[in-house]
Amino acid sequence: MDRRTFLKIIGAGVAGATTGNLLTPGKSSAEESLSGKEFYGILVDTTRCIGCRRCEKACAEVNGLPIPDISEKTNEFILKNKRKTSDTQYTIINRYETEKGTIFVPKRCMHCNQPGCAAACLVKAMKKRPSGHVTWDLNCIGCRLCMISCPFDIPKFEYNKAMPRVQKCNLCWDRFNKGVLPGCVEACPTQALMFGSRRQILEEGKRRIAANPDKYIEHIYGEYEVGGTSHLYLSSVPFEQIGFRKDLGTVAYPEYSTGFLYAVPFIFVLWPIAMLGINRATKKSKEDEGHHEEKGKH
Amino acid sequence: MNRKLIFFLVSIAYLILISYGLYSVYTVEATLRAKKVPAIKPENKIGIAHTEIFGVLERPQIVFDHKKHDEALKKEGKKEGETCDTCHPLDKEKDIILFDFPKKVSKKDKASVMNAYHDECMNCHKKRSSENKKTGPVVCADCHKKELASTKISYPIFEFNFEYHDKHVKKLKEKLGKDDCSLCHHTYDIEEKDETLALVYEKGTEESCYYCHELDKKRGPELTAITRVAAKKGLSIRKASHQRCLNCHLEYKEEYIKKGEKEACPTECIKCHTGKYKTVAELSKVPRPARDQKDKPFINIKDAKLKGVTFDHKYHETTSKTCRSCHHETLKSCKECHDLTGKPEGNGINVARAYHDVFSEHSCEGCHNKKKSEKDCFGCHSNIAVMDMESVGPKKEACSICHSGEIKGPLSRPPLSVAKLDPEKVKKEVEVKILGKEYEPSKFPHLKMIEKLVKISNDSKLANYFHKDMQTLCEGCHHRSRAEAEVKKDTPPNCRNCHAITFNPQDLNKTTLLSAYHRQCLSCHEKMNLEKGRKCADCHKEKVGGPKEITDIKNENVVKQNKKAILNVWRPK
Repeated sequence: MDRRTFLKIIGAGVAGATTGNLLTPGKSSAEESLSGKEFYGILVDTTRCIGCRRCEKACAEVNGLPIPDISEKTNEFILKNKRKTSDTQYTIINRYETEKGTIFVPKRCMHCNQPGCAAACLVKAMKKRPSGHVTWDLNCIGCRLCMISCPFDIPKFEYNKAMPRVQKCNLCWDRFNKGVLPGCVEACPTQALMFGSRRQILEEGKRRIAANPDKYIEHIYGEYEVGGTSHLYLSSVPFEQIGFRKDLGTVAYPEYSTGFLYAVPFIFVLWPIAMLGINRATKKSKEDEGHHEEKGKH
Repeated sequence: MNRKLIFFLVSIAYLILISYGLYSVYTVEATLRAKKVPAIKPENKIGIAHTEIFGVLERPQIVFDHKKHDEALKKEGKKEGETCDTCHPLDKEKDIILFDFPKKVSKKDKASVMNAYHDECMNCHKKRSSENKKTGPVVCADCHKKELASTKISYPIFEFNFEYHDKHVKKLKEKLGKDDCSLCHHTYDIEEKDETLALVYEKGTEESCYYCHELDKKRGPELTAITRVAAKKGLSIRKASHQRCLNCHLEYKEEYIKKGEKEACPTECIKCHTGKYKTVAELSKVPRPARDQKDKPFINIKDAKLKGVTFDHKYHETTSKTCRSCHHETLKSCKECHDLTGKPEGNGINVARAYHDVFSEHSCEGCHNKKKSEKDCFGCHSNIAVMDMESVGPKKEACSICHSGEIKGPLSRPPLSVAKLDPEKVKKEVEVKILGKEYEPSKFPHLKMIEKLVKISNDSKLANYFHKDMQTLCEGCHHRSRAEAEVKKDTPPNCRNCHAITFNPQDLNKTTLLSAYHRQCLSCHEKMNLEKGRKCADCHKEKVGGPKEITDIKNENVVKQNKKAILNVWRPK
């Protein structure tokens, strides 16, 4: 072996190793990439919610949306239906009749740890902020992939506007930067909503369950669902009874596609090379060469 | 042309056939699902399945009409009580009927049980048909009816109550002229080797049947030996009670019918298994049997740290349906099995735990805790942590309520009253203005609520005894405010002394004033099942120029803004 071939072999080995490393699917855990900072979130205690809809009103005031009428008569009428969030309502309350009585459930963006919407966005208009807020930006191209990718059906599109935006709860990102609590948390008259770092509210949720084992079921919705969310829910009845999906699994939505996406360049680059190599290796001696070439032409 | 028409017709017919087939396929399932299990009232019928032996049944179960058989035999001239031995075996030594069927089963396996049933039922049916009498079926499907396969016949359990006991005792005294309990009560002498002599009666040892005959319950070593004998004889509570009650009823039934008391001595299933149960309150006036128990025993454990307890046994007799609810294994006093350190007889449970276990059904505290979760009490007590032996630093006054030493006089306290309250300090009405911007101030009928709580407390003997003074009632809402401190400072124990109006970011879980009001008031109204104060408008009257008007103005502004600048959207930094 002369020097030239030796260097060639070494070079090929190094190149292969680096490309292999780059192209194999790696971890994309959002928490890992933001190490050192904590996500913030809200602990929602559905046993405390009294269905007054003050959070809806506060949300509208904070975000400049049409302010809902929350007098008792209207509430009675509105809560008859199971509603969804809309482009003018970032948070809504639904009423459920269960064996443990009436339960009111606030519904809004869950602010997933690894949001499907942010992963699906082509232009990074949907973003997961270092503090856990999932926000929307003006560079949106209106493809609405975020709406499809959301397991909770939260982002809503302004279909009735000339310049439509995608609207959803942003956990009061601008208020957070000013050091003020989210509007809904501030307005809640029973402290059913508790704002804090995800670690804090998770701890508090677990403490409440441990302190009142009869009152709560032993499950915090959002602790593991879709890889963890910043909104955590406590309940006294199984979550499927109060309109939560139990079929979401504990894998974050972006992680379903990472494996495949990382494999694409690997196949496009390395597959032809490998095939070429095999082709060379299995090529027969010169006698058959003519025959092969003939075949290739056909 | 003709050929085309035939083709067309055939294809149409084919289509119809297919759609009919599809229709029938889908409707079959639907009808199967819609088919309901026929509901059968027990009405003296018995479901025979023996799934404990047969497991999954090959043929449907049998629903046996006991009354029909009984009446058929009566029509042939047999008297009440004489019909039984046609099917049930007699115990000639004791002269009683054993309510078993079939009479003889050689082994308890599938084949022999099945054969025993078939032999006994069908032999009788066949015999009668050869004698040209009216008879029952002899073909399989006539008894094993498919439509009755999934019906379940179950009788509501018969519950012992002291009203029946009292009636029986009185009737017996009329008959014999003196008390004789030996007709039902007995004890089993485990030392006696001759089994026929082991069943004895001794006055003053009468106990519940359940102690020995309830076979599936775990017992202490002494009783286990006896229940083992009962199990060997197959005398479960079900069998033992049917045997005792029915034999006696059959014997005296004729006599009472002659007297004109037709309802006396019932022998039909549904006459005892009515499913109607008396409440504790209904039974509280029925006298309890005397068995030399003291009215007010002084419970004093030797070498115990605290003073003894004077216990109102006579009152507590009326607060439960049976003696068993406290005396769970024998009618002895608690300390005979539970001593200071815990004996094997007491399952290792020491005497302190026996009285104070919060989760036990037989302990004082367990039962009192159950009472505390009733609707009148739970408003306050849902927020008060349960105090058991292990709780750190229980107040001395709390323990001394029971551990007061021997009391000779009556065991009750004078009722609480609101008359002594200082109207300067205890306000008649409190106004809460925290949501003053949106609503009129909420008026809070402070004194009225105290009056209501005082009434509840006075009505219950338990509450009356444990709520020593008015201060105790105040602590239901004014939790954690110490009475002595409040008196010294001469300031009312307002909620805002501890609960801040604004949110404290340092202490996320601290309850704010608004939240404290809502949660305290609402939880109590909910727990006490009060109609008032559950809806917003009950406390909050809408202010003129209040929420609705504000809303309308704001809405208009928002619409205007939106129209002005569509592009002027919110953008994060």
